[in-house]
Amino acid sequence: MARERVEVSLTINGRTYRDRVESRLLLCDFIRHVAGLKGTHVGCEHGVCGACTVLIDGRTARSCLHFAAAVEGSAITTVESLATEAALHPIQQAFHESHALQCGYCTPGFLLTTVELLGRNAAPTTEEIRQALTNNMCRCTGYANIVKAVGVAAAAMRGDGAAKA
Amino acid sequence: MTEALHTGYIGRDILRREDSYLLRGQGKFVDDLPEPRDTIYLGFVMSPYAHARIRSIDASRARALDGVIDVLTGEDLAELTDPIVTEIDFPGYIRHGRPVLALGKVRFVGEQVAVVLAEDRYIAQDAVDLVEVEYEPLPVAADLETAHLDGAPQVHDHIPNNTIFSARFETKGFDPAPAAATHSIRERFRSGRVAGVPLEPRGCLAMPDHTADAIVFYSSTQVPHILRTALGKHIKGASESKIRVIVPEVGGGFGTKAQIYTEEVVAAALALKLRRAVKWIQDRREELLTSIHARDHLYEVEAGFDGQGVIHMLRVRLHTNAGAYSSLPFGCTLEPTGGARMIVGPYRIRNYAYQAYAIATHTCPSGAYRGVAQPTCFLTIEGVMDRIGRQLGIDPAEVRLRNMIQPEEMPWVNAVGVRYDTGSYVASLKRAMEMIGYAGFRARQPADRLADGKYRGIGICSFTEISGTGAPGWRARGLIRMPGFDSALIKIEPTGKVTAYISHANAGQAHYTTFAQVVADAVGADIADVTIVEGDTGATPYGTNTFASRSAVTGGGAILRAGRKVREKMRRIAGQMLEAAADDIEIREGWAEVRGVPGMRVSLTQIAETAYSMNNLGLPPGEDYGLEASDFYDPPLATMANAVHICTVAVDPEDGRVKVENHVVVHDCGRVINPVIVDGQVQGGAAQGLGEALMEELVYDREGQLQNANLLDYLLPTALDMPDIRIEHIESPTIDGEGGFKGVGEGGLIGAVPAIANAVADALAPLGCNVNRIPLRPSYVLGLIRAATGR
Ligand code: FES
Ligand code: FES
Repeated sequence: MARERVEVSLTINGRTYRDRVESRLLLCDFIRHVAGLKGTHVGCEHGVCGACTVLIDGRTARSCLHFAAAVEGSAITTVESLATEAALHPIQQAFHESHALQCGYCTPGFLLTTVELLGRNAAPTTEEIRQALTNNMCRCTGYANIVKAVGVAAAAMRGDGAAKA
Repeated sequence: MTEALHTGYIGRDILRREDSYLLRGQGKFVDDLPEPRDTIYLGFVMSPYAHARIRSIDASRARALDGVIDVLTGEDLAELTDPIVTEIDFPGYIRHGRPVLALGKVRFVGEQVAVVLAEDRYIAQDAVDLVEVEYEPLPVAADLETAHLDGAPQVHDHIPNNTIFSARFETKGFDPAPAAATHSIRERFRSGRVAGVPLEPRGCLAMPDHTADAIVFYSSTQVPHILRTALGKHIKGASESKIRVIVPEVGGGFGTKAQIYTEEVVAAALALKLRRAVKWIQDRREELLTSIHARDHLYEVEAGFDGQGVIHMLRVRLHTNAGAYSSLPFGCTLEPTGGARMIVGPYRIRNYAYQAYAIATHTCPSGAYRGVAQPTCFLTIEGVMDRIGRQLGIDPAEVRLRNMIQPEEMPWVNAVGVRYDTGSYVASLKRAMEMIGYAGFRARQPADRLADGKYRGIGICSFTEISGTGAPGWRARGLIRMPGFDSALIKIEPTGKVTAYISHANAGQAHYTTFAQVVADAVGADIADVTIVEGDTGATPYGTNTFASRSAVTGGGAILRAGRKVREKMRRIAGQMLEAAADDIEIREGWAEVRGVPGMRVSLTQIAETAYSMNNLGLPPGEDYGLEASDFYDPPLATMANAVHICTVAVDPEDGRVKVENHVVVHDCGRVINPVIVDGQVQGGAAQGLGEALMEELVYDREGQLQNANLLDYLLPTALDMPDIRIEHIESPTIDGEGGFKGVGEGGLIGAVPAIANAVADALAPLGCNVNRIPLRPSYVLGLIRAATGR
């Protein structure tokens, strides 16, 4: 079996990674093994669970459904970009305060889905939140606290302190 | 919450310590660990047949592939390992072995027949496809209800009628037809086959350590100590002392990862032999085909009761599907003995008999998934309560109350000899009814029923939840190799900081937070000074580990016992330092103080310096150096939690869809350590329960092919499926065990399943539909409605 290799260059969280990889290398594997960013998790490898969700040019995508070579030149955002050394991103902070994670395996995917949601809708209703989260699976939390966290994050990012309580 | 229960850190909503790194994507799950460049990646060749003889295996094409190191078969692995045998000491259990790779025969689709060793995971998968196995297909017994009939194909030659386990029991003087039982019901209840489906599939990484004949074995497991013992036992020539099991972050367990799997034995054996790192990460299809399955039970039940709805006789015959092999360590007896022993629940049932069977089939082995037998046994008894109500025209909640163990009857010893020390059965049911507005719903129900074209119903599940099982509980179920205890080693370091080594392993339960709360209270430390170490057999004392709602009970109990010893020593030292009697010393949040003399105090750090001989104070006479203690805790037979779930549903007769509209839970797990974490357990469990009741089902066809080994076809609940669940707690601390703690891991799931099924049954009762099987998928519900209405 000939294993074709191609030169791929991707910008992940603002930094460019370049490597000769197999043309069939999945984006999630590029992120995890070439760039070494292990925060992007793989739960099904067939596009259903959402654990591998990243942003490609600002839009959510399942990194297990793309070949790295096919998104050559794109800007990828992963969970590692959200927090600074000192502080969590407001969405992460809201997840923490709302007890929105247990094992944490699904969490990076939910965080990036929330980044996208709150980017286009600063004040989503509970129904809109549930709708937006429906493509990410969590087997631990039963979603209640994730839904709550997204609402808390939205309020915090709007600077609406009252809704934080 | 009562004051006395919650004076320190226990009982408080303390935010999780785990979050900061998990939220940043810095959690190290097994596939995230750095591996050496020469790591060998494993790929398993799985049988496409449910039952077949292996005629030949030709790996020449796979071996020729660039990057393939070797391909090994069952014969090769038989030289390195012994077959896995689940030792269960129970009359009626038939022992059998499972080679780590199939030898001669395969018995379920997905059983591993060969293993590829390759330089990366992609190549391993390519090579798996190139291994040519010639099979001779054999007849298949995949179905629970027919596999035990005469003439069914046999899974194991020495197990007639595939009856791998059978047991019978009657209460003393059992009377099948007592005079008081003027009415009776016979019914059957059937549960579908489901699985835990943790979001992170299984995997392991075996790393040789510097002494070269030892390994560090990283595994996504819930049971590091049990795993280490199993590896030491099943790998020929291995020494348990030269295996260290470390549990990295685990992406959900739910019992699925509380089993010992053949792939782990293979990976460890190869790493020991080859002295190279060996890694295996499974994909989702493999996960669904080979990680333990659960449920697939049939209950045939008969109840005799009087005109008031009071049960005077209960008899069940139950069959569970064991799959092709008894899984390790729980075996095939866990579900039948569990269901038969727990079905009496919070009810005053004295005259009881059961027959319980585990049936081997050509399907994936079953094991201990969250809730184990309880969702189906409570589906059964709670379904019986509803049917009694319908037959007699008595409200089903009232039927339950009439049969329930009353507060003044506690402690209670149930029909199979399990003691319920404390509980809040009546209070929990009444409170849940208030929370959901039970009476109001019933009053509105006839009008609401089809107001928007939908049928509406309400369903109750009132249940006991077995948790924190100790050695006597495992022995009663034949599990002679299951220890029961867990342990804690608490050290106050010379600087006064506290390190606690616990035998458990975390898979999302937030042990680093909750155990820190218990340790801080136990020794009187500031919680910020407490560090928890667990999931590492090289560091922590032995234990039974984390499954079956055990960690709060057994880990919490062990911490309290070890903490008491450390605290006593600190009081003696502080007493000398403060020139007071040890009995007069109180220790809290990092300070030891003479009772009633504020300011007469020394810090834990000062006490520790004295204990470690780092000042010139000297120890009290006869006192040893150091400031640490370890202890074990083996709880009684069982620690009984209880809860009530009530939910309302709308059933759409157009498409058969069920929507859970309201769901309330009153939960009693004794003394609560961290309320928000307890609520999270209940909410997460309830989602799995909703899945089990309404959508999840692993479907095997007659040939034993799993039809839906992917997450598109095996449906998991999403955020849109879940109602907002309201949860309240009643705390009835256990008086039989340490600390008042009862377990909480499984109740959310257990209660949701019967509550939802009963609500659907209630909604469709006016049509005459009999709802007695789950999952209630839209097509099935639609079929029920059509059959009843003749549409
Ligand atoms: S791993 Fe990509 S969607 Fe599941
Ligand atoms: S927290 Fe475990 S899968 Fe979501």
